[in-house]
Amino acid sequence: MRGFVARDGVAVAGLDEDERLVIARIVADVGLLLGGERFGVEEHARVPHREDLAEALRFLDGLSETPVEPDDPALLRLLPNAAPTDREVADEFRRLTQEDLRATKLARLRGLWEDLSAEGAEWVIPADEVMTVAAALTDVRLVVASRLGLETDEDAEALHEEIARAAMVARRGDPSEFEDAERLWLGMLYDALTWLQESLVSLTLGGTE
Amino acid sequence: MGTQESLDAKVGTGTRVRDPWVTVVWNDPVNLMSYVTRVFEEYFRLPRHEAEARMREVHERGRSVLSAGSREQMEVDVQAMHGYGLWATLERGGE
Repeated sequence: MRGFVARDGVAVAGLDEDERLVIARIVADVGLLLGGERFGVEEHARVPHREDLAEALRFLDGLSETPVEPDDPALLRLLPNAAPTDREVADEFRRLTQEDLRATKLARLRGLWEDLSAEGAEWVIPADEVMTVAAALTDVRLVVASRLGLETDEDAEALHEEIARAAMVARRGDPSEFEDAERLWLGMLYDALTWLQESLVSLTLGGTE
Repeated sequence: MGTQESLDAKVGTGTRVRDPWVTVVWNDPVNLMSYVTRVFEEYFRLPRHEAEARMREVHERGRSVLSAGSREQMEVDVQAMHGYGLWATLERGGE
């Protein structure tokens, strides 16, 4: 993986096929968590179904009912409580904004997924789309971080050390020492996404604006 | 609603007019300092040094007030912050 660099007014990163696949998959998972359709599937089913109509009209429900706060802490990070100490304000905010926010985030994730699913070893982002991509990467990192139980800055530092230790163990070649392979895998994915996002955003901070 | 009325009354008798609601951005372990700075620049139109100062306040003190105004305005700002993936809340000013 090669982080983003500036080239002729665009940001370019280098990802091989496996890296693209892994990131595209977690992006699609976050899309599903937000209640979207599985990315890539709908292209094979263009004929409108009755379910699609029901889906298209679902916004009508939102006009009358207050959506409930998500139980899943990862989803709650994407659609946070806007007033933890004031139920009336929090509910009103959720009723007014949740479907908009969900649609915005889903559209961004879909764009990210489509970029990553395209052929080629380079990931090219036009300058005016950098913050959109960075926001989508943030949503993915929020979900992964929630799954990893990162709640404080200290948690994040501890995870970093945990991964460094695990990498040392891996170099010694004894995989049986991994206590939790899935956690390690998620942690490494989180670190990679963080590093990619940092390289992307830092490109926009370098100038004299 | 009794709280609201008494707060409004307090603001009304104060020596200066205060915006009744504020947008607060909270620290979290996920959002990058560079990204938060860019968000504050882009959305609140803050100059770089000011955006960085607010970002540091969030990071070091745990929270920072980014805007003040009507409840409706703050709902727009908080929604925008949630759109960027930052954790923001709205609350009555002076709390």
